[in-house]
Amino acid sequence: MPNSFSRLSIAFVLLILFSANRASADHEHASNEFEVFLAGEAYHGSGQVRPGDDDTWFDADVVFGLTQHQFRVFGELYITPDEHDLERLQFGFEFVPETVLWLGRFHQPASAWNTEHHHGRYLQTAITRPFIERWEDEEGLIPQHITGLLFESRRPVGADGAVQLSGGAGAGPALRNGQYDPIDLIDHNPGKHRLSVTGRVAYLPEYTGASSFGLLYGHDHISTSSPMVISALNSRHAMLSIYGAYVDWNSEPWRAIGANYYVDVALDQQARDESFISGYLQVERQLPYKLTVFGRIENSARMQESNYVALFDDHDGDIDIALRRNALGLRWDYVRRQALTIEVSHVVSLKQRSDEIRLQWSAVVP
Amino acid sequence: MKKIAVTWLLAALISAVLTMPASADETLVLIVSADSKVEQLDSLEVRKLFLGMTVIHNGDRLRPLLNEAEPRLKDVFLQNIVSMTDMTYDRRILRLALQGGRSLPAVYADKFMLINTVAADPTSVSFAWARDVQHDKRIKILRVLWHD
Repeated sequence: MPNSFSRLSIAFVLLILFSANRASADHEHASNEFEVFLAGEAYHGSGQVRPGDDDTWFDADVVFGLTQHQFRVFGELYITPDEHDLERLQFGFEFVPETVLWLGRFHQPASAWNTEHHHGRYLQTAITRPFIERWEDEEGLIPQHITGLLFESRRPVGADGAVQLSGGAGAGPALRNGQYDPIDLIDHNPGKHRLSVTGRVAYLPEYTGASSFGLLYGHDHISTSSPMVISALNSRHAMLSIYGAYVDWNSEPWRAIGANYYVDVALDQQARDESFISGYLQVERQLPYKLTVFGRIENSARMQESNYVALFDDHDGDIDIALRRNALGLRWDYVRRQALTIEVSHVVSLKQRSDEIRLQWSAVVP
Repeated sequence: MKKIAVTWLLAALISAVLTMPASADETLVLIVSADSKVEQLDSLEVRKLFLGMTVIHNGDRLRPLLNEAEPRLKDVFLQNIVSMTDMTYDRRILRLALQGGRSLPAVYADKFMLINTVAADPTSVSFAWARDVQHDKRIKILRVLWHD
């Protein structure tokens, strides 16, 4: 890992140097982007001996992009005290305005939350992300990183609206020891990475607006040789089919974002196929003095009966799988590009109930 | 006869008020370089441009420059053209950067530097008070965006 990180650092520095001197580059019709999303968090949860996998005390999300004519390069490097991963690295070609074909590792487009916030905590009003939207290394139940091709397009419809189409296909994560391992672009890749196909169709009432609603679809072929997984599922293969719908409605001072997923897990013996449902709704309202109050409800059905879901509960002293969660919080954007947030929540997991409180500072530089 | 005269006079006064040019002190205009091929941009194109989306005119990819020389100038632009508060706009364009590495609009806190940059780059598009650019031959005013 240190070796790969040094290689990654060199690549990163080269990219920054390459994209330096913004003023001169501008005249050559090139532009670049460099942002760092920072967050620090304090956490306490009853009945848990350690913070959750999503509750690192510090993280930095480094985003860099370069646009040259119709070509784009984009990357996202996520750093915590325990990990430093190149979460996304995409090379794109914009055929016509707002229609881009990307090659590389990307976030699958069938996640309502992650395609909006990615790893930038400053941009998500709440501190936590819904359990069903968790990343693979946080015991996430749905594969989130694909390495392959991603097509994205936004086309005008009617007088003001637009349709947004996104489709991704490529190698999905391998399933080993109760956790998904996505393709690592630099390090070695143990396990079997099979085809993953995901997509989204969304309608935007305003072409340039932030509101949208639509349908989500994902299909992941999982193949494993892990004895633990085979023992738990009694199957060497699983076909994961995800059908979802979402809404992200913005009308200042209100915002509501919600999604519902139906997940079907087809195993080798059809009689043992499983399915479960998980969804959430978060409502936010801006208040005077740059305060925003928010609340979120997460709920699920049949998750406690699923062997597939139980596979991701690693019994390491934190909550990996939540059946239900109610969260309430307040965010204060006390200065430009910095915010303080407090969030309290009540979680019902596979085996216990817990009350949690989180405090977070988040920011963007420059 | 007297009534008709009064009516005509009133109509003439209203017409004069409606067609009177706004004070240049409080008139926000959309500007490009005098060498720019752009002759007009509609409201949707302006919104797209300043929200980080791709806008191409005559083969040129246009480049938005955000004028932050005066807080009121930016506030008027965001509220009346982009229809967002400053905080919402900032989070929106950061989100676009995070979604696909889109470049955020270049920010200028010095109006002379902004005007010089617009004048020198035929692909750049910005906004300014009319009083700051109306006598500058290097700048083309596309249209009035807002006036008090």
